[in-house]
Amino acid sequence: MDKQEFLDKVAQSVIDSDEELAEQLAKQALEEGMDPLEVINKGYVVGIKQVGDMFECGELFLPELIQSAEAVKKATEILNEAIAGGEEKKAKGKVLIATVEGDIHDIGKAIVVSLLVANGFDVVDMGRDVPVADIIAKAEEFGAQVIGTSALLTTTMVRQQELEKALVEKGLKGKFKTVVGGAPVTVRWAEKIGADAYAENAGEGVNKIMQLLEG
Amino acid sequence: MVVTRMGDGSFITMTRDEVLRDVEEGVADAVKRGKIEPLSSDEIEHIVDICCRPQKFVSVEKGNELVLTYDSGTLKVTRLGIPIGMPQILQLYERVFGADSLELAYVHYSFKPIKSIVPEEQYAVAETSLVTTAPLLYGAMPNLPLYTKPDGPCENAAELLPMGKIEEAKRAQEEAAEYAIKDMVFVSSGVYEAGADGIDFDTTAAAGDAEFYATLKATEILREKYPDMAIEIGMAGEFVLGFHGSIEYDGVRLAGLYPHKQVGLAEKAGASVFGAVVNTNSSRTFPWNLGRAVTFCKACREAANIPVHANVGMGVGAVPLVMTPPIDCVSRASTAMAEVGKMDGL
Amino acid sequence: MALTHMHASGMGGIRTTGDLVARMQLSKKMRLNEAKKYVAEKLKVSVDDLADEVAMKELRQDLDIGDVYAGMGEQARGIEAKFRIAELLDIDINCVQRFLRKTKWQ
Repeated sequence: MDKQEFLDKVAQSVIDSDEELAEQLAKQALEEGMDPLEVINKGYVVGIKQVGDMFECGELFLPELIQSAEAVKKATEILNEAIAGGEEKKAKGKVLIATVEGDIHDIGKAIVVSLLVANGFDVVDMGRDVPVADIIAKAEEFGAQVIGTSALLTTTMVRQQELEKALVEKGLKGKFKTVVGGAPVTVRWAEKIGADAYAENAGEGVNKIMQLLEG
Repeated sequence: MVVTRMGDGSFITMTRDEVLRDVEEGVADAVKRGKIEPLSSDEIEHIVDICCRPQKFVSVEKGNELVLTYDSGTLKVTRLGIPIGMPQILQLYERVFGADSLELAYVHYSFKPIKSIVPEEQYAVAETSLVTTAPLLYGAMPNLPLYTKPDGPCENAAELLPMGKIEEAKRAQEEAAEYAIKDMVFVSSGVYEAGADGIDFDTTAAAGDAEFYATLKATEILREKYPDMAIEIGMAGEFVLGFHGSIEYDGVRLAGLYPHKQVGLAEKAGASVFGAVVNTNSSRTFPWNLGRAVTFCKACREAANIPVHANVGMGVGAVPLVMTPPIDCVSRASTAMAEVGKMDGL
Repeated sequence: MALTHMHASGMGGIRTTGDLVARMQLSKKMRLNEAKKYVAEKLKVSVDDLADEVAMKELRQDLDIGDVYAGMGEQARGIEAKFRIAELLDIDINCVQRFLRKTKWQ
């Protein structure tokens, strides 16, 4: 098997949510002296990205997505140990996620959390119906780099605006990047309230957060 | 230049060629996702023409009119803070708004809270049926999450799944579905016995495949109990979210089904009318969304043996995602759904 | 938005015959063209006439099946109109059946 075939097999193990095979391939990669970072980026990351795309199209479902995420987590733990002499590779970023106060919808948020974890982020999920003050306090305590909020109702999306105002008032606007999402939320709304990014769906949420952290 | 909008309602200008390109791309997206047939070049041209007309308001040619049903009917007035009763709102719909059918809906709009006020809703149904002429439906959402913690007795799959507790999450959703079925049958029976022509299960599958399952089962039970009851199943999104992932109805896995597959199961369960939904992408243009929405809805209508009504409102059916949907887009979407999608209704 | 749809593509409700076509969809699962044809035959008009406010207003008055100006004259209104519609379209209407049950000594 050449290298590309091996990497394709790694990606496929993630798409198939095959935890056992994903772990086995990670061990095999190390035994064969492959570059662990390359195996992560060109194998496991490719696989989980494909999983995200399939999820978005309704070709793969949340339980499989979570199993795939678990497979990536376990396999990359094995590879991470080999990177930098056993020091664990750092998470891609620290993200705090919450559904705003007055809003009890948490399914979309659960999907975002699952995809973020699958993509190697350190995530705190504050749940639903979370007041702005609690979000800011937790973000400070956790050391979040990004705050993501979800609102599923036209009547609750104003809480996202309250968060932006509160961050400005407390002088924290630059400290935490913000991303907003939810059924009635649009890029127009994000721009109006001063959020740093808007995400149409969970997959885009991951990409936008990556961009925010790179930028 | 053509003045149109983005899916978030912002005005943009495009050339006719750009409109054509976006409609084609919208069609292609629907074809790729739904694995359905594309629109013909004539149909695409027709949509482009509808988008490019300079008038603010566009309408169908005489003879192409269709039937209108409504979701959350009375709520659309009560949520504006206008203090009038439900029978009077529906008289307005009938005599002022030219409504072909009427829908009575309680402010909470979910079966679980309505369960405890069915006698009050029966009053409203009975009184409305005395003073109106058009068919009268009662509408509410299955709203499965109301049966999960902290709002209900079942474990919350949205909390269990991110923890990797997949089997527990599946069991919790199955348990919640059984509660939902019971309430849907109870409330629907109550309003039907008070004189409503039928029920509208609105925003079905908003919580995913287990909620769709519950709605289909409730439909099946009601159809057996009341053979003449009108039952409309209106969806929440273009594909059934696989939140459970493996729940089946009639041997078919529900997760991931697109409208042309959803409608077959709705028919099998006993629905009278199916409400197809295609979500608006607020980051894409109106022409892109319209091409996409019509492609999905047309495929659904062609696959159906019962009437299919496309949802064309805020954030669905190509209408921009804004609280005051612009007339230029709504009238164009309405026209395209009738003339290109050839829907049975909206 | 209801008004926009009514003007853009709606049949017109009881201003015309939209309620009757809707009834055939909801009670008999008829597709649009089938429902229009059925109603047109029962009303003895052409399908093209079904959404004409002028002709259908007059017809509804003649048939006494209710229209938007229920206060002028002695037209049937509400449940009265539905009794007549049930007979005209040869269908059962739930509230009419209930009315009959409730007004008869068993």
